Amino acid sequence: MSEEFEPKIVGFLCNWCSYAGADLAGTSRIQYPSNIRVIRVMCSGSVDTVYVNRALLEGADAVLIGGCHPGDCHYLNGNYKARRRMVLMKNILETLGLEPERIWVRWISASEGQKFADTVKEIVERTKEMGPNPMGKRWNV
Amino acid sequence: MAEMMLPIQDGDIKTTVNDLLKGLLRSGKVSAVIAMQETPSGKSAFPTMVSDPEKMDANVFAPLLPVSTGTMISRITKVRGSNKPITVVLRSCEMRALMELVKLNQADLTNVTLIGVDCPGTFPMNTYSSFPGDKTPTEAVLEGGEAEKYMRSACLSCKDPVPENVDVVIGIYGVDLKKGLFIDTRTDAGEKLLEGIELVKTDAKARVKAVEDVRKSKDAVRAKFIEERSDIKGIDKITEFFDTCVNCHNCMKACPICYCKECLFDSSVFDLEANKYVAKAENKGSFKTPTDSMLFHITRFNHMILSCVECGLCEQACPSNIPLMDIIIPIAENAQKEFEYLPGRDSEEKLPMIVYREDEFQDVGEK
Repeated sequence: MSEEFEPKIVGFLCNWCSYAGADLAGTSRIQYPSNIRVIRVMCSGSVDTVYVNRALLEGADAVLIGGCHPGDCHYLNGNYKARRRMVLMKNILETLGLEPERIWVRWISASEGQKFADTVKEIVERTKEMGPNPMGKRWNV
Repeated sequence: MAEMMLPIQDGDIKTTVNDLLKGLLRSGKVSAVIAMQETPSGKSAFPTMVSDPEKMDANVFAPLLPVSTGTMISRITKVRGSNKPITVVLRSCEMRALMELVKLNQADLTNVTLIGVDCPGTFPMNTYSSFPGDKTPTEAVLEGGEAEKYMRSACLSCKDPVPENVDVVIGIYGVDLKKGLFIDTRTDAGEKLLEGIELVKTDAKARVKAVEDVRKSKDAVRAKFIEERSDIKGIDKITEFFDTCVNCHNCMKACPICYCKECLFDSSVFDLEANKYVAKAENKGSFKTPTDSMLFHITRFNHMILSCVECGLCEQACPSNIPLMDIIIPIAENAQKEFEYLPGRDSEEKLPMIVYREDEFQDVGEK
């Protein structure tokens, strides 16, 4: 039997809150799984669904969109818009039966290093239960 | 609001409406009319802008949707709106598309009055061009019955064949078509437009009942359509569904809602250096070219589905005959329900993706 499945997770983290939260987790030496590949974006509201889709179709096992808590957005309302966009995207994937549960949205502030670490742990655990993203091995998508 | 009937002249619906539109031009009330006009060969019909009443040869019930009149109004008015009065005759799906384009600042209805016509459905271009039997496609569609079997699937499961957001409605439901066409002037502009035109009183209740019945039967067909396609789900079925896609982007070009001046997928955003492709092949084992077909479709759905008016032009444009409506109608139904949004319902309404409420979707982001 091959070795244990290690999910690949792509994280889009907003510059002002979630990325700083991830940074804090690192500087505070909080341990969390190395499965996540972080992409820093200026705002969760700037993450178009095309990026999330592309990650999933290329075989990412989960995608995390991290933003400021509602009401705390550096650009006032980017996270509210991101929320709507991700609700729409999950709704579409649900209708198509394409595993919307691989998309995670979390509000993580700059002071929540522990929450970031816990979130990554949770995503890794749940994704291991789900198994690898079947898109990863598809050559004809 | 006035509900009247336009008496049929010479027993011919086409002439009757044509004369009405000619009259609008002759009276000087409008400088131009845009309405469906058959090409000389009779093989096709297009929204045609007419200003010379002698050249007016409209057939507003021609059962064909080569393009959306909504898109054409956008092309005509998006640089700058009109100084001169224009009247546009369109169907309900075109009306809905036009309302969405207005919200997107891609169409300007200044000095534009809208005449909506009841639409019993349209045929695919090839069926229209060489219509079987002795009747013309227009005669066949107005008679109903038999013609249904040739109709586009988008029309069979039409969301609403009766136009709402218009100044004047020309109706075929709830009236005796041998006697007249139903006329409903809904706005002051519509009232003014038809001033001086001879109309007779008709039974408004019969119209209300007929429209209700048509809507009910269409809703039932649409619900059944969605139900029957509920098994197109999951990675195997969805990849199979798009197996014949050649990535031509015709669906995007035909779509009245795909509003971007340059589509992301027509840009060089996804052009990578050769090494990246080799790395992808090494990573996945293999991949097909052209790449990103699925990415294109799913992203397109994300961008346009809330405004989707279900006109079926995407399906009609597909060179591989992919029955796109089979998945678009269910996706549109679910997504629009989630946001309680109906495209074309109200031109003042904001698009769902540019507004938000603080107290909505509160479980997203926490669990």
